[in-house]
Amino acid sequence: MERRERFAIAVVLLILIGLPAAALGYQYWLRPALSSTRMIDIRAAAPEAGGFQPDAIQVNAGETVTLRFSSTDVTQGIAIGPGLGIDLGHVDPGQVKEITLTFDHAGTYTFYCNSWCSPDHWRMRGIVQVDDPANPGALPTSQRDPVIEALIAEGVDIDDNVHTDDHPLPVISLDRVPSVARGEMLTSTVNVPADLQNAAWRRSHSPAQALDLLIADNPSMGRAELADVIAYLWSGGLSAEQITAAQTLYNKNCAACHGETGAGDGPVASSTENNPVIFADAGYMFTRRDDVLYAKIRRGGMGTDMPNFGTLFTQDETWALVNYLRSFSGTGQGPLGDAH
Amino acid sequence: MRWLHTARIWRLPLLIGLLTLAWLVFPFPGAKAATTRHITLDASQFAFSPGRVHVNQGDRVVFTVAAQDVVHGFYLDGYGLKTRVEPGVSQQIEFVADKTGKFRYRCSVNCGSLHPFMIGELVVGSNTPFWRATGLIVLAAIGMLVYLWQSGRVQEMKQDGTLQSSTP
Ligand code: HEC
Ligand SMILES: [Cu+2]
Ligand SMILES: [Cu+2]
Repeated sequence: MERRERFAIAVVLLILIGLPAAALGYQYWLRPALSSTRMIDIRAAAPEAGGFQPDAIQVNAGETVTLRFSSTDVTQGIAIGPGLGIDLGHVDPGQVKEITLTFDHAGTYTFYCNSWCSPDHWRMRGIVQVDDPANPGALPTSQRDPVIEALIAEGVDIDDNVHTDDHPLPVISLDRVPSVARGEMLTSTVNVPADLQNAAWRRSHSPAQALDLLIADNPSMGRAELADVIAYLWSGGLSAEQITAAQTLYNKNCAACHGETGAGDGPVASSTENNPVIFADAGYMFTRRDDVLYAKIRRGGMGTDMPNFGTLFTQDETWALVNYLRSFSGTGQGPLGDAH
Repeated sequence: MRWLHTARIWRLPLLIGLLTLAWLVFPFPGAKAATTRHITLDASQFAFSPGRVHVNQGDRVVFTVAAQDVVHGFYLDGYGLKTRVEPGVSQQIEFVADKTGKFRYRCSVNCGSLHPFMIGELVVGSNTPFWRATGLIVLAAIGMLVYLWQSGRVQEMKQDGTLQSSTP
């Protein structure tokens, strides 16, 4: 009897301890050991519950690694950028999504959550540091952005939009919301100064400045019509896919604050200290330069709630976003830009 | 006109019966043809607002689901409709409420600790038959009372001879 009891206890213990040990051992020890690539487990939790664990990983250029993402609390979305085009989609608690990849060059990438999982969701980011094994000590070149460098050299303050009482928002008056479509029909009848035909010039000047030049060259034309021509010149010539991609990025990352139609009325707007900029206001957006909007998206606000997206999006994606923002006030291409 | 006299005691129940039939067959003036119902559903941790929606069978229902804080989902039992809502980007779900009954709608994105309790209820009522049936029962009850009362009178009349004299 004694022996049988002991045997029974041993069996129960084997099941209670051995089974989980086997399952976990397989997942965390056997499988990584058998796998030809390095496995890195990253557990995701909402930022207030700790965010990504770990939130920084190191790999070598040319090394193949498998990243395994799991969630410990709520549904998260996993993407890695910039420019990798990796979106693993949603990771529910208890689910594991993995990706095997090889980074070709030394540099820094960001894995981030792209599902609005908590009020602080946008802080949920982690770093992949890719080192060059031939040159291990070298720090990855910090992302240089010629556009932002040029703005700094020019002495442009990209935070001049941040409203204070002694510094009201710039705005010009426009009689109506400009229209790309109307502008396109008019443009052949209008004298367009050479500067305005130059894309680089347009990026570093505001539509309002361009409108003044256009008015000077076309004194017989109405101001509202000329504003339409400016809207046409500023519409970025994007492909339908680029616009859809920009819309997806906007809806996932920006609409919570800036609102679906750029009215600055997203549900999170009520909890930001400064008001999210209203992109639907044509008179305001006409005073903004494309490169300044671009720089704000990439660098983020200075002590405001505007997050930085430079480590998530490519430069082209950012320009497409700028254009998409303009579509809310009839000036860029997008679902709303076409409607006006 | 003769039958009217002979069956005098049956007149009222007969009338009631005919009315009831009409009641069941002809449509209600109030129970108009199916309409389109636009309903805004606000989803926030951890409830839908409104938590209960009532529509009539056949109505075209347009739910506009808006997430007020974090990503939420919307799943409608019975109809198998599903969507995912990012805060700031409302989603529309359109369908014809052709099945009657109570259907739960629940959050389909794990949005936090009390997520399993994020449930609302859609009631698709086939109102008209219900009220008609109620009316029918009430009428039947009244008819029964009248019948009993009348037959009681017949009995009395037979006894005191009045029934005899009124018949030609
Ligand atoms: C958490 C809220 C929040 C989110 C998310 C957010 N923004 Fe902002 N944004 C703000 C606030 C607040 C401001 C105003 C303060 C400032 O400019 O720093 C702002 C300002 C801006 C500006 C400056 C406009 C100007 O006139 O200079 C741009 C451009 C912008 N946001 C674009 C974006 C884009 C694109 C996204 C998504 C990829 C985004 N924002 C996501 C809150 C947000
Ligand atoms: Cu998140
Ligand atoms: Cu929810």
